[in-house]
Amino acid sequence: MSHTYSAIGWNRQKRLYDGVVVAGVILYLALFAGVGALVHPNATIETLLIRGLGTCALLLLHVILLIGPLCRLQPQLLPLLYNRRHLGVTMFLVALAHGVFSLIQFHALGDLSPLVSLFVSNTRYDSLANFPFQPLGFIALLILFLMAATSHDFWLANLTAPVWKRLHMLVYVAYGLIVAHVVLGVLQAETSPWLAILLGSGLLAVLGLHLWAGYRERHHDQELAAPNHDGWVDVCAVKDIPANRACIATVAGERIAVFKYEGKVSALSNVCQHQNGPLGEGEIIDGCVTCPWHGYQYLPDTGASPPPFTEKVPTFNVKIVNERVFVDPCPNAPGTRVEPALVSNE
Amino acid sequence: MLEGLLTLAACYVGLGLTFALIFVIAGIQRVDPAARGASVGFRLLILPGAAAFWPLLLWRWWRGVVIPPTERNAHRKRAQEARK
Repeated sequence: MSHTYSAIGWNRQKRLYDGVVVAGVILYLALFAGVGALVHPNATIETLLIRGLGTCALLLLHVILLIGPLCRLQPQLLPLLYNRRHLGVTMFLVALAHGVFSLIQFHALGDLSPLVSLFVSNTRYDSLANFPFQPLGFIALLILFLMAATSHDFWLANLTAPVWKRLHMLVYVAYGLIVAHVVLGVLQAETSPWLAILLGSGLLAVLGLHLWAGYRERHHDQELAAPNHDGWVDVCAVKDIPANRACIATVAGERIAVFKYEGKVSALSNVCQHQNGPLGEGEIIDGCVTCPWHGYQYLPDTGASPPPFTEKVPTFNVKIVNERVFVDPCPNAPGTRVEPALVSNE
Repeated sequence: MLEGLLTLAACYVGLGLTFALIFVIAGIQRVDPAARGASVGFRLLILPGAAAFWPLLLWRWWRGVVIPPTERNAHRKRAQEARK
């Protein structure tokens, strides 16, 4: 959260996160090359490096894709999400190294330009066994580049969070292309079943956890019944909202977060302006609604970030009747102060 | 055909890199006030994306857009409609 951009907003957690990631990548590559040289004594160091970088990037991509649903199922894992963009950029750099070394190894020694050679050296698109798998990896790398290049908050602000998220959802297209790249390429030359088993397990884990998380969340997105109390919507009982936390419901076509704090109740749009994180899954820290994803903060009664920050989300008029929370389904302009409803027995 | 496409792509990237260099030095603070006085490190991080999305940034810079756009979701749209 910053009102001016910096290259990287370093803090202790980010340094620790990045340190673990970089150390993990180096350790993985060293182990892969060492064990590979022992198991395949005829393999050249270039081949081991290309394979090590490729499998490392694939492993990191699986971790990245699993973090999202895992955090939805186990909020204790949210610290993994906090710096996921650095993990993504690391994965892209490892994949780029794999791509560049492969291009040099397989396409730089002929008469054609390496990029032209990449696309024309094998044109057997009608053959499953000999399908040109390398262009699939190249297209995936282009997608990963677009994602890595737009990973800074400048791009979130200038593309807007919904557009940025749609762009970054292309990671699933890249994942599909990479799975095809591996299945149609390396796996066909592989005699050991282990890589196929590992890739299949990874694919199942990614698909299974996404479906499970989606299934668990489905009730949040069911629009509450039509307004029934003078045009207000009955959202939940006051006692159902934990202290300094929120009840989430869908009102006016989007999720809202109804927070209970200091004997008061306020309602605001659930969508964080930063990266559209779920504000209602955060908590009140230092008097502010704090997004669980990256810590962006909003005052619960105004929906505005405390100065000098400028983020604002829509607020909702709220009242308590017979210990139940009612919300006016017509949102107020982002940053509009709304008088909180007072909880009678607190 | 393929060589033609690759030449087009090379032209796009070449133009993009040229634009991006100028943009991160002179243009970025004009389309986003939060970039005023930003460090060289920040500008270098933005450069690859600016080279990729240069038509969008050129369009904003040329039109004199001085603040980033605000997202539109269901709540923001309804709040805006209610004010009309």
